Amino acid sequence: MALFVRFWGTRGSIPTPGFKTKRYGGNTSCVEVRTNESVFICDGGTGLRELGQDLIRRAKPPPMHLFFSHMHWDHIQGFPFFVPAYADHNVLSVYEIAPGQTRIRELLTGQMRSEYFPVSFCDLGAKIQSGYLEHQGKLIDGVKVRCISQHHPGTSYAYSFEQDGKKVVYSTDNELDLWLDPKLSLTSPESLRILPSEFVDFVRDADLLIADGQYTEEEYPTRIGWGHARTNTVVDLAVQAGVKQCAIFHHDPMQTDDDVDRKLERAEERARRHGSNLVIFGAREGMELKV
Amino acid sequence: MLSLSAVTDSPTKRPHRDEATNVLGVRIHDPLERSVEPSWLEQREGPGAPARFVLQQPESIVGRSIEAHFTIESSLISRRHAVFAQSGPEVTCRDLDSSNGVYLNGVKVHSALLHEGDTLQIGDVVLLFHEGR
Repeated sequence: MALFVRFWGTRGSIPTPGFKTKRYGGNTSCVEVRTNESVFICDGGTGLRELGQDLIRRAKPPPMHLFFSHMHWDHIQGFPFFVPAYADHNVLSVYEIAPGQTRIRELLTGQMRSEYFPVSFCDLGAKIQSGYLEHQGKLIDGVKVRCISQHHPGTSYAYSFEQDGKKVVYSTDNELDLWLDPKLSLTSPESLRILPSEFVDFVRDADLLIADGQYTEEEYPTRIGWGHARTNTVVDLAVQAGVKQCAIFHHDPMQTDDDVDRKLERAEERARRHGSNLVIFGAREGMELKV
Repeated sequence: MLSLSAVTDSPTKRPHRDEATNVLGVRIHDPLERSVEPSWLEQREGPGAPARFVLQQPESIVGRSIEAHFTIESSLISRRHAVFAQSGPEVTCRDLDSSNGVYLNGVKVHSALLHEGDTLQIGDVVLLFHEGR
């Protein structure tokens, strides 16, 4: 059985509609991982609105499982516009990180308070149930889902989805560079950047790694601590972990399509210099892969 | 061997809105009238290249079958290899479970929304996508 992965929102921080961002897209983070039975949704950025429109066009709404990397605006903004959440017959599971937590549900409820939005969370028609992930991961509709914490202000989480030997990792808003020796990584930019074994193992042998590679080498030094990685550091992670394909994600809102192209060219050059045949590309809206 | 039945070099024109009632055949200038050039594929490599496939149908299938809208005789192409679907101004390419897949700018995809200048590889055929205007 294959995993289908579709990008509905690939932009970081804030929506960027317009001609200069048309190819990679202007909607904020939302990725669909689909099996024949279920839909796993990674983040609820503005791309979630269009995923919702697409889901209601499908013959029968599948069970929907929603995971958040974290709760910053650009990852939750689409939720109030997610039409399937309004339909009585739908079931939506929203996952907390640990049993007993209610943080994600509370924050989703909060952004639908009347000061911000005309419809309240409790008026949503769908059955919205809270789930949680166990320490060793959880089997959900035949897919093994695991998570791991990341470097981001307030913490973020990466998720992996595995079924029948196929593995997809979603890792956005992760400042990989904070795991590095700052002097070494900034003064010897060409050297392979060694990342913590725990995180490398989490990503290991992924058929597809979707990873935040927001910044170029030149942009990063003035943005340290903002919670996002350099594209080149993502390349090094993918090479160390033996990833087959890597989708650079969470494009900077200041980057035009041509800027993203240049960023990706350099990333590809870096992978080749490391002797890797990693397939690396820019995540773009409307692109669907069969893994 | 290419089936060029669906190929045209001239842009399609919307019928004039007063055509049915303009019995004298007087040319009436309609400020809203404009030519619509459909999206098209430029075949750069593979059997039959160079060629041009104009996407005029809601769905156009590329494949080895003579029933495909764009027939390309190549052993590396499946009988029904990929479909180009139009929805408003958007064109999506989708792999029809072909043997050799569809590559968008070098990445194997199941489907993708296309943009001006995208390169598609289907077997030994290379196509360049051009957006309609």
